[in-house]
Amino acid sequence: MVIKVDDYLDAMRGTMDAFLLEKDLSAIYITSTIPSQSIKNVLTILEIEMSRIYFVDCISHIMMGTAVRSEHVSFVESPTMLENIMLKVEYLMRSIEGKKLVLLDSINSLAIHNNTKILSEFLHILVNNLRAKEAYTLILSVEEQSSEEISNMLGLVCDESLNFTETK
Amino acid sequence: MPEAEEEELNAAGESRCITGIDGLDRILNGGIPRGNTVLITGSCGTGKTTLSFEFLLHGAIHDENSLFISVTENWEKLLKNVIPYDFFDDSLLKSKKLIMIDLGAIYSKLGLEKAEFTMEDIDIIVRAIGDIVREWSIKRLVIDSITSICFQLKTKEKIRDFILSLGKNLSEAGCTCILVSEISPGEQSYSMYGVEEAIADGIVLMANLQRRGDLLRTLQVVKMRGTMHSRAKYVLDLTSVGVLLVPLLKGGSVPGGI
Ligand SMILES: Nc1ncnc2c1ncn2[C@@H]1O[C@H](COP(=O)(O)OP(=O)(O)O)[C@@H](O)[C@H]1O
Ligand SMILES: [Mg+2]
Repeated sequence: MVIKVDDYLDAMRGTMDAFLLEKDLSAIYITSTIPSQSIKNVLTILEIEMSRIYFVDCISHIMMGTAVRSEHVSFVESPTMLENIMLKVEYLMRSIEGKKLVLLDSINSLAIHNNTKILSEFLHILVNNLRAKEAYTLILSVEEQSSEEISNMLGLVCDESLNFTETK
Repeated sequence: MPEAEEEELNAAGESRCITGIDGLDRILNGGIPRGNTVLITGSCGTGKTTLSFEFLLHGAIHDENSLFISVTENWEKLLKNVIPYDFFDDSLLKSKKLIMIDLGAIYSKLGLEKAEFTMEDIDIIVRAIGDIVREWSIKRLVIDSITSICFQLKTKEKIRDFILSLGKNLSEAGCTCILVSEISPGEQSYSMYGVEEAIADGIVLMANLQRRGDLLRTLQVVKMRGTMHSRAKYVLDLTSVGVLLVPLLKGGSVPGGI
């Protein structure tokens, strides 16, 4: 899903409403952009139910030096530890009951910390694995931070591309 | 017989022992060929005991009697320290689906409390283990660790003799066996005495990988008779839902560095 920076909040609300409420899913929210605590604050303001949202937070450690333990949050020390991100997702996939949505926020911030080669290897493995487990995977790409390389990479793994501004 | 019907056969009609560790079964194309003796080798803290114990738990849960022979530490202490798996249940012990014994207890029953074993002693030990396996219809066996037993065997000939006759004995009983092997971190060979790895039907190498200051646990199936398998390195995590495995991303390895 391609979004504009300014549309972040709307995109979040739209996504959560569309998937979590209407489809009755639990969400695994991988964040490499904003610390999970800030996302939680935003979701609180948007009055979005959080009991079924689980975070894999790979940015707090490098942004703040430490990460405060928090409910429903597992921390990965850095966005370069892509295998650990996969392992945390795998753990949550196994321990949460029911259908799941995995949200990757965002491909652009991962691209800042990883080269394209390893990132596309990561995406392939992650997406294929989640597809086999019948989870919905939603990859956020921020238009202003995107590149041709990233678009090509997404083109290879995604079934569908949504442009948030167009679909509004 | 119901037992035969329950055997998991793959496309080629071979029987597999499904480890229950998803990632590992995928690497092995459906599990360990039944009756194989597999060496799980690695340095301290790489997860050998944890993985082997999970292998037995899945067996016990799925009605395959499983036996853990603890050599280095008391099994009760081991149980206290092992990861509290979500699927572990005390009743597995009570129902004898999961049997835990200390090798020391077998030794003292046999009157074999000595520093070095003779060929005859080896015969007696192998037969004793084989008898337990048959008496309790054990389908999965873990010995943790074989290295400690080797200390008392001293010579390569005796180690070879021990592992060969144990493997043969267990294989005839349809029992799949994991031998845990301890090596030092920089070790180039897969086992302390070099003999263990040559005789085993399979070798699974567990290690620590240093990458850009991060320490990762890795697993690699080096050899496994009777099945095609991946030889790639996987990264693992020891969690309460079991051992989780994901491929080691190749773009991620630093040139020249392990
Ligand atoms: N109760 C536990 N909770 C969480 N992790 C554990 C627990 N017990 C062991 N571990 C992890 O497993 C590691 C040891 O694994 P172990 O299987 O004993 O290794 P090995 O047998 O190769 O020496 C420890 O370093 C620790 O990280
Ligand atoms: Mg151990």
